[in-house]
Amino acid sequence: MKTLEIVIKNEIGLHARPAAQFVKIAEGFTSEIWVTKDGMRVNGKSILSLLTLAAEEGSMLLLEADGPDEHEALEALKKILEGDGG
Amino acid sequence: MNESKKISVSQLFLERNQEFKLKMVAGEGGMEKCFISSMDIHRPGLALSGFTGDFPSDRLQVLGGTEMAFLKTFDPPARRLAVKKVLKLNPPCFVITKGTKTPLELREELNKAGIPLMVSRLSTNDFIHFVSDYLELRLAPETFTHGTLVDVYGIGLLIVGKSGIGKSETALDLVERGHRLVADDLIRIWKRRSLLMGEAAEKRPAFQHHVEIRGLGIINLYSIFGIRSIRLLKRVEVVVELKRWEKGMVVDRLGLERATRNILGVDIPLLTIPVLPGRNLAMICEVIAMNHLVVLRGYHPMELFDRELKKLLENKIKVAREVEEDVE
Repeated sequence: MKTLEIVIKNEIGLHARPAAQFVKIAEGFTSEIWVTKDGMRVNGKSILSLLTLAAEEGSMLLLEADGPDEHEALEALKKILEGDGG
Repeated sequence: MNESKKISVSQLFLERNQEFKLKMVAGEGGMEKCFISSMDIHRPGLALSGFTGDFPSDRLQVLGGTEMAFLKTFDPPARRLAVKKVLKLNPPCFVITKGTKTPLELREELNKAGIPLMVSRLSTNDFIHFVSDYLELRLAPETFTHGTLVDVYGIGLLIVGKSGIGKSETALDLVERGHRLVADDLIRIWKRRSLLMGEAAEKRPAFQHHVEIRGLGIINLYSIFGIRSIRLLKRVEVVVELKRWEKGMVVDRLGLERATRNILGVDIPLLTIPVLPGRNLAMICEVIAMNHLVVLRGYHPMELFDRELKKLLENKIKVAREVEEDVE
């Protein structure tokens, strides 16, 4: 299992579009993906859960990936969260 | 994660002082620093009388009629001494019930120790009843799980399974048939005595009762089906696990096996349903709920079937013998 801490840079926070993109990318990996914010740990492949986190700009997320492609998964997901598009 | 749950006395006071008719009379300085970490309350009569062994110093201490009457039997210096001894055990706070007047020594010692003392105008029983409910709400063991919680014929079905297996679609189908969605996706489950209660992990009403249907996106069930299609809270009674059908998968063919899933130390019935194209999962869920109701009433269809079958088999042997011997 691999973990990674990430700070949200998008100025509106993790809203619908970036979250949808996150899930789309996450679903492409066979690894299990978990996202934790303030002690709340949710499935990274579930759009509703991810939106429920209501992660604002500057908030810290802990990403976990567990599976054969965990390394690649974290790299790809990091790019989305740290990018300011969406 | 549950052991560390606690609330400060100040939180209790802020959230419930009106409902519990509370007044802060001493030790206000300790409100933020004193924490209650047990759902149970304690009446420190025995400790006031001098026995301080096994004292539960994580609990809210209630001074009811008996304790106050007992304290009255002391002269002031002895009263002070008794109170001091209990305070050494570091309880989080005291509540005097029935609006009873507080002895001066009690106020002074609690002020000195920085342990909050409140007076409630409720009767001891009412106060204990209400505060226990409140402490349970704040301190009950809880867990978060992915799934869908639906009220089907009054039975709380927690539908679980891998993402994409069709939990939400099943819920949508159930709502269409007149059942009620509690929450989809992330469910908070907590223990209430030996019962499990479930609700949406998402507390903000504006975000509740949304369901993701692949190909459609996120839809709001309330806006489509209205008030009859939702509820906020439901006891979790049966777990339905949806599993993609694979060759060689072992499934219960009779309904005689009683599998359970353990959630927060409570075993609840678990049914594993293989998912195959063309299976009507909503209908299966309805039958699961109805069957559960039937079993609750002490009627176990498969056991009865088996019993009847055994009777028949016995009879058959008898009949066969009679037929064989029936020579005209």
